[in-house]
Amino acid sequence: MDWKALFGFASLPKPEFIKMYEKSLERKIPGSKPVSELGFLVLDTETTGLDTKRDHVLSYGAVQVNHNRIRVSTSRELYLRPKKRNREAIKVHGLVGERPFVSREQLIRSFLDDAQQKILVGHHVGFDLAMMERVGRSFGFRKVKNPALDTYDLAVRLDKGKFYDPRAVVSRDYSLDQLCDRFGIAADDRHTAAGDAFLTAQLLVKLLKIADKKGIRTYGDLMG
Amino acid sequence: MANVIVNRVIDFLKNFPPFSFLSAELLAQVAQEVDLVYYEKGEFLFQKGEPAKSYFFVVKEGAIKLTDHIEEKEETVEICDEGDVFGVLALLGKRPYILDAIADEPSLIIAVPVGIFEKVLEENNKVSLYFASGFASGQVVVRSGLSQTQKVRALFGGKANHYGLMLFSGQTSIQYSHPVIHCHTGNNIAEAVEKMSRGKVGSIIIVDENKHPRGIITDKDLRNRLIAQNLPYDTPVEKIMSHPVVTAGKDLEFSQVYLNMVKHRLHHLVFTEDGSADSPLLGIISDHDILLSQGNSPAVLIKALQESHDIHELAKLRNQAEGMLKYFLENELAIDFIAGILTEINDTLIRQAIAMARARHEANFPEVRDMQFCFLALGSEGRGEQLLRTDLDNAIVYEDVSEELKEKAQDYMHLLARDVMDILFACGFLSCPAEMMANNPRWCQPLSQWKDYFSQWIREPDPQSLMMATIFFDFRAVSGKQALAEALTQHVYEAISQGKLFLNFFAKNALLNPPPLGFFRNFMVEKSGKHAEKFDIKLRAMMPLADAARVLILSHQVVGINNTFKRYEKLAELEPQQAALYRDAGKAYEIFMRIRALEGLSTDSSGRFIQPDSLSKLQRQLLKNAFFPIDEIQKILKVRFQLDYFGN
Repeated sequence: MDWKALFGFASLPKPEFIKMYEKSLERKIPGSKPVSELGFLVLDTETTGLDTKRDHVLSYGAVQVNHNRIRVSTSRELYLRPKKRNREAIKVHGLVGERPFVSREQLIRSFLDDAQQKILVGHHVGFDLAMMERVGRSFGFRKVKNPALDTYDLAVRLDKGKFYDPRAVVSRDYSLDQLCDRFGIAADDRHTAAGDAFLTAQLLVKLLKIADKKGIRTYGDLMG
Repeated sequence: MANVIVNRVIDFLKNFPPFSFLSAELLAQVAQEVDLVYYEKGEFLFQKGEPAKSYFFVVKEGAIKLTDHIEEKEETVEICDEGDVFGVLALLGKRPYILDAIADEPSLIIAVPVGIFEKVLEENNKVSLYFASGFASGQVVVRSGLSQTQKVRALFGGKANHYGLMLFSGQTSIQYSHPVIHCHTGNNIAEAVEKMSRGKVGSIIIVDENKHPRGIITDKDLRNRLIAQNLPYDTPVEKIMSHPVVTAGKDLEFSQVYLNMVKHRLHHLVFTEDGSADSPLLGIISDHDILLSQGNSPAVLIKALQESHDIHELAKLRNQAEGMLKYFLENELAIDFIAGILTEINDTLIRQAIAMARARHEANFPEVRDMQFCFLALGSEGRGEQLLRTDLDNAIVYEDVSEELKEKAQDYMHLLARDVMDILFACGFLSCPAEMMANNPRWCQPLSQWKDYFSQWIREPDPQSLMMATIFFDFRAVSGKQALAEALTQHVYEAISQGKLFLNFFAKNALLNPPPLGFFRNFMVEKSGKHAEKFDIKLRAMMPLADAARVLILSHQVVGINNTFKRYEKLAELEPQQAALYRDAGKAYEIFMRIRALEGLSTDSSGRFIQPDSLSKLQRQLLKNAFFPIDEIQKILKVRFQLDYFGN
């Protein structure tokens, strides 16, 4: 007798797309795979705030990079109807007016479908992934388990070497704005999730070229 | 629906042809499918011989160098910068690349899949024309492309045709009036007048039994030759008609016909089946027809110039011509037509100035007043391709006189030259900095002295002589005794055939200005000075072509063709195996003339220095394409005159 099920404590059966995602994680990327053959999903979220416990995702943007090419055809821009409209966030992000909103299920499904076999990339990607986990929680999604690459960390590492002292880094110098400026990326669509994801993708392809010159050529080199 | 990322791509692509010709919907479909690729400096995008990829490229940021290997030597063919399209062989089927593409700086490239674009090519003929005419970089279809290019320009010019010039633009056939009012030889005047009156026309054509035109009677003839002469109305028409009539074929270009009428001061031009007078009458066109359709016509202007004897009036009329030039250029009229009209206007002005100067001075020189002289235009005016009122280059040659009259003749000619120059300056022409003008005593000389000058330049082709030759060899008789100029031409060819090496030196001199292909990004710009960062279209593009044409035409001993583009036309005729290249060179020259004239009009300058940024993308590409023949022409000179073995 499944008591939990009897009293309604058990979570609902996991939707198929989550199962598919989790199954995909069983296949690991070999460490010797060349960076040029890796698939990346570059993403960004806009949220009501910076608190991963209380704030919510407003929108999600992503684009895939593989073989060093930004695939515009894979670009996503999805808006989630916010539970509580945080007026401050709306002011910052300018998310007013009608948007083609999607449900939370559609959003997490799109993300998990795209994320399979990918290295997830973002600027301070940990925050975005935590927020995405929040979106997926009520569907039984627990944790993003893909390998993740933070363009912030990568940029710092390429400047200061693998074993840098985080306290010695002036984090302001490695903001997305600053890095775009430094690498000559025209930062037009700041503060939209897709816009930032696009900028981050451009940053990624440039950083990977520099990494290549510094001898970072394989998946193992990149993530190690 | 397009998201922010796709929109970003759309916002970029829509600024550049051929994407700028796509509908918003189609462009969104294309943008949706592209990839962005980043290349570090020195990375290859593709290499010569490699099979074409399934996409072509657009530069989003950075610069891509297209290079060729010729005998182990890398040669930059072109540098593509923001918005340039290249690697389009992919569109033309899977043929291997014919050039290398290397990132010249860190570059972000948009890769457009061929699949999506094939659909676009089918649906949008502007886009296919764009590719067909070699606008994209590195296509090397330029040879056959330049004439096509001009068509595209007209297509993209987008300027509404103004009513006044509807008659010209794009008109290929002639709209003559028909049926023509005519009568037969043997009719009398009364019958002819009755027909004219019924047809409400001012002229009537007289034809013979085969309907071949034999003469024309106009209102003016009735007045002057009938009524004023007191002749009866039953006088046969043959007695007062003007004949022979000037005829033309129906398949002539309108502009050509019109130019003919202006040149020969014809009031009527009669069209016949085969263009000759011994062929049936088809139609007639009168200058009046043309005048009615345009108030600001060259014919009116030239007529006004001919009738004016006041320096201020002349200056005013010459200023008006500038407005007309602008009008012609904006309406994309053929350059040979525009140049023909402007040359005729300038020549008329000079003739008028000479008449005025003579009237003023000849009374003081009774001994030499009737001596023969010829006013020569030199340089670009001599070539009949001076569109703007830039520097004057001219000279006077006069007949040799007896020793005792020498001084008088010289004084008289100098006075004339001085006055003529003053009138031309007043009309807005600029003085030649090197003083190669008739008012410089050195360039106002008797024929014998001129022969000595030319002989010396040809005999001793030092840099100074060669420089003189580039200007003086393009002389053209504008006014006065043509025979003097012809004698000089004759002398030049004799001297050249004796001093064979001269042409080799002259050819070498023509290579002094290499084609602007080694340019960084787009154009080889001036490095310093007042015109830093500007492109010198005269020095870098026009002079190499004009110099080459001159040498080649001299080597063929052709007389009387001075226009650079007409010289290339002639060369194409003389050397059929190189015809395509010569035609392209001529077309390229016309493009340079047009761009320079437009630049000059818009900046109120000589138009010589062009700010590359001020050109539209399309104009820049047009210009870049037009550079290609320069290099090829110079190669021909090198081979033909064996310049590689020819020392300094």
